Amino acid sequence: MAFEMGEETRQVPGTWDISTYRYKIEGRGLNLLTEAMKEGKIRGVRCHECGTVYVPGPTFCRKCFIDIDEVVEVKDTGEVVSYAVEMSNMRGEPLDEKRITAMIKLDGSDTWIVGTITDIDWEDVEVGMKVKSVWVDEPAGKLNDIDHFEPL
Amino acid sequence: MERKIAIVGQAQVNSGDVGMPRERLLFELVKGLFDQLGINRHDIDNYLICSNDFTTGRTISNVFEDSPIGAYLKDETKAEVDGVLATTYAMIRIMSGLYDTSLVVSNCLGASECRPYLVMDYQLNPTYDRQLGILNELSTAALQARCYMDTFGMTEGQLDETAARLLDNAARNPDSLPSNSAVTPGDVAASEYLYEPLRQLHCYPFTDGACALVLASEEKAKELTDTPVWIKGVGDSVETNYLGERDLARSRSTKLAGERAYGMAGITDPAGQIDVAEVTAKFASQEPIITEALGLFPEGSGGDVADKGLANTDGDMPVCPSGGALGAYAFAASGLVRLAECFKQLTGTAGDTQVEGARTALAHGQDGFCAQHNAVMVLSREEV
Repeated sequence: MAFEMGEETRQVPGTWDISTYRYKIEGRGLNLLTEAMKEGKIRGVRCHECGTVYVPGPTFCRKCFIDIDEVVEVKDTGEVVSYAVEMSNMRGEPLDEKRITAMIKLDGSDTWIVGTITDIDWEDVEVGMKVKSVWVDEPAGKLNDIDHFEPL
Repeated sequence: MERKIAIVGQAQVNSGDVGMPRERLLFELVKGLFDQLGINRHDIDNYLICSNDFTTGRTISNVFEDSPIGAYLKDETKAEVDGVLATTYAMIRIMSGLYDTSLVVSNCLGASECRPYLVMDYQLNPTYDRQLGILNELSTAALQARCYMDTFGMTEGQLDETAARLLDNAARNPDSLPSNSAVTPGDVAASEYLYEPLRQLHCYPFTDGACALVLASEEKAKELTDTPVWIKGVGDSVETNYLGERDLARSRSTKLAGERAYGMAGITDPAGQIDVAEVTAKFASQEPIITEALGLFPEGSGGDVADKGLANTDGDMPVCPSGGALGAYAFAASGLVRLAECFKQLTGTAGDTQVEGARTALAHGQDGFCAQHNAVMVLSREEV
């Protein structure tokens, strides 16, 4: 096979801005969480069959494949399941302030959520450490109402 | 299986910039494969394309790829996700008795046309994970790496050893990226952190790549080649897109996919019966997770495997003598490249990466964050 067409090939820059979307959210799913967050609380859904507590709560259990609607409140404290440290942005430019991305299993939940951890040097973070949510001053029912997590 | 199916030929190209349009690349690749087998496009009963709309930058990506692979006015179908799955569909089509030959082609210009990391952002669930703005291909891979390393006590040094072994293998594979050269674990440790604990050399390289396989029924396979590689078993499994509901230190879907393939192939002792495995580990940290789920090594042994060189080409259980996805990774094509590398191993054409006397091989493909969807195929030179 001869791949010798290089000089004849030109590249043209382009973007693929095809549309904007209006994604639908199920009322009992993510809305349940965002409505709770207005009150500074975190709610998920428990499967009455296998007992799994999902946060955010889906409307059906993936394992049992049944409708689920038992709302449960979980704590805004939890445990670090894993973490990783962002050293540079997606274009490869180094970040002045390293960002600690973490998987956090909230107390009372069987699933984990994602957040950033601050107020600690990245080299001191450990799997298993306890953290607490730090909320924005006026929660508005948005996912970033929990601004970040801090060591407990 | 009701009808025996074999892979009879492979062709692949991996490059840092292939320097030609996709259409020309596919044409030269497939024409080369046809010439090698002494056939023309009319000898192929059905065509399967595995490519991705986002990396191609246009929807229904296959409509632009039909003619360049010889499928003009032919029976052609697209099977996205991964090359192992596309090959499974091709196999099923021949098993149906309606077809005798299939061509499977996959490609992605992930080095020169697009950035796969950014494309992966759009695979995130748009109403939750994407809204948070902190999950992306690198951060999820780094979180998964930490899960495994923390659960089983694998050190960063052992991860460096794993990556160095793969890059070393890749340097010996002429089908891998030409830029690959032998590296030491120290070189890996000296590469930049992209997302701690993952460094540049733990991660797959941006690749322009394409791969093609020809599959045939028993009768046709024996006409086309003296060294058919028989498909003995296939399996796939998918888990939830929500990372928070998964145990990232292990891969249940890979385990189930493997068990399905083993059941079909009559494999009861994977580590003992499989001579070589080609898995799609996009990050060095995924290799132990995937190979352990496949029963090739005990759970949690990633550090030990690295220290003792058990996965070396001349080790107890050779894994990715080709260099795997660390040597070259073309989105969606990787599973097909793994199959092509197994074909090389089983036909004794793997050159400097050859595992001596390999008769049975395993190929694994994946797609999604932290290997959400996994597909496994067991191949053998033994007809029965």
